[in-house]
Amino acid sequence: MAQKKNAVIVGGGTSKFGVRQAHLLDMVQEAAVACQKDVPGLKHKDVDGLIIATTMAGRHSSALNTAPLVVHRLGLSPTSICIRLDTLCAGSNSAIIVAKGLIESGIAEVVLVTGGEKVYMPQRWETNYTQLAVNDHDWDSAMGLGVPPPFFAMIARMHMKRYGTTKEQMAHVSVTNYNYGTDSPNAHFGGRTLTIKEALEARIIADPFGLYDCCPLSDGASAVVIASEERAKEMSDRPLVYVRGTGQHATHSMSAGWPGETLAEWPHLKKAGEVAFKNAQLTPKDIDVAQTHDCFSISEVIELEELGFCQKGEGGPFVASGATKIDGAIPTNTDGGLLVYGHPFGASGARQSLEICKQLQGRAIHQVKDARFGLAHNLSGTCAQHTVVIYGREPVE
Amino acid sequence: MSELQKSEIIGTPALKDVYIGEMDMWPFESPEFNRIYPFYDNLRAGKFTTTKCKQCGHIAFPPQVICPKCWSEDLEWVELPQRAKVVVLTETQAGAPIGFPSPLIIAWLTFGEGAPLRHLLVRIINCKEGELKEGDEVKFVTFNVPAHPAEVKKETKVCDRVYYAFEPVK
Repeated sequence: MAQKKNAVIVGGGTSKFGVRQAHLLDMVQEAAVACQKDVPGLKHKDVDGLIIATTMAGRHSSALNTAPLVVHRLGLSPTSICIRLDTLCAGSNSAIIVAKGLIESGIAEVVLVTGGEKVYMPQRWETNYTQLAVNDHDWDSAMGLGVPPPFFAMIARMHMKRYGTTKEQMAHVSVTNYNYGTDSPNAHFGGRTLTIKEALEARIIADPFGLYDCCPLSDGASAVVIASEERAKEMSDRPLVYVRGTGQHATHSMSAGWPGETLAEWPHLKKAGEVAFKNAQLTPKDIDVAQTHDCFSISEVIELEELGFCQKGEGGPFVASGATKIDGAIPTNTDGGLLVYGHPFGASGARQSLEICKQLQGRAIHQVKDARFGLAHNLSGTCAQHTVVIYGREPVE
Repeated sequence: MSELQKSEIIGTPALKDVYIGEMDMWPFESPEFNRIYPFYDNLRAGKFTTTKCKQCGHIAFPPQVICPKCWSEDLEWVELPQRAKVVVLTETQAGAPIGFPSPLIIAWLTFGEGAPLRHLLVRIINCKEGELKEGDEVKFVTFNVPAHPAEVKKETKVCDRVYYAFEPVK
């Protein structure tokens, strides 16, 4: 039997995220160009696989069978895989899991993983209304549970009640991520800054969340190159960043199936993390930098707990202590995360994985010194599914 | 709605006054469109029900056509408790999807020890803002929602619909 191939992330790029005057396919083209600028050795003919991760491309953008549209606009001619993939907010990290498997098995050599959303329609109401269809439509959504803030607000209240987490501790998540993301040129809120006082005095979105506890919905696209180790060496001289281990765990689609004792416990994330760490042959202590799904400030607090970066229930004091800052125990969301870079669902995973790639290659804007191992995490929908991808400077033995 | 929006100069004139099922905020409840329609018939009778597996005894929610635990198709309809306690709640002032009036009150309910359904997120209706508190008891309530047309054997029939929520126990 031939030796197993290793999959690596070579580089990538994103379009500008935000309220964009652009079509979904325009933004995917922007992301592809940004990706090629980042990896000048990437040639059209080398791309044998294409995955486009998107959720809203059916109803918004009128692009149900999206992959051929992307192939045509990018001038590609894939031969190994050409698919659209939808796991909502985890789309492009899910695509990276697929690409890893295809490359390790020898089915594909160079996969362009793209993700993108056109969230904003000619009239704003349609954006919130479409979200009724991305949750469990006939059940939770028929209760009015479309946009996420009310659900995550209940999670925050529960965490505050059970573990004593405070609004000020949650504000530290937002402020830290603004300090990072202000320098990301393509971020939705690039160039903006935030203080604890501003965060705490912001208008209420859904109690206890103020404006800065919530990530924006964004238009945008991202693209990363996942390739075999051999092809990556031909394309780029940068240090190799291996896709070491992955885990993805789903337990339910609507609230009756919630797996935790309360909303403040996310055992499905704990499980996804354990699977990924096992596959990566690492532990949380090994991770130098993380990108966790900070759709809300409380999300990052709970994710740091469930992924094992701090004890359960201690996420609040942990973030307030500066643990996620560049010199802290686990620098987190070093490009601004969802809170600042923005959140075009299908594009977010690849944006996170690209930041980990840059960190492990030593070329991030906010560089973690000697970063060797990094982790990216997404949650999907009403916290129904968790996706974890772990990267390293060396492959799994 | 402005006169301009009502005119045929903008939009999709072909879809004027057309029902678009894809955009419907409620389920298609009639037997032509799902196999769990007894749930909705039971709602009309004021009952909150779901399916129980006759093989392994598992009670699923939402109701299903197979048991998610053992994949048996041998299921029966059973009633669920109609009272529950509020664990946490949220009142949305702005940003609720169109069709849901503000404040949109959503609560995380617990049905207590031994109940076949442990938790559920539900909409609370017949309740003023600030009225409901954590720990309060709420009860099941049904209400009519708009019907939709459906083509059945070349005829267009009107499918009446109902849905459920919870309300404060006063």
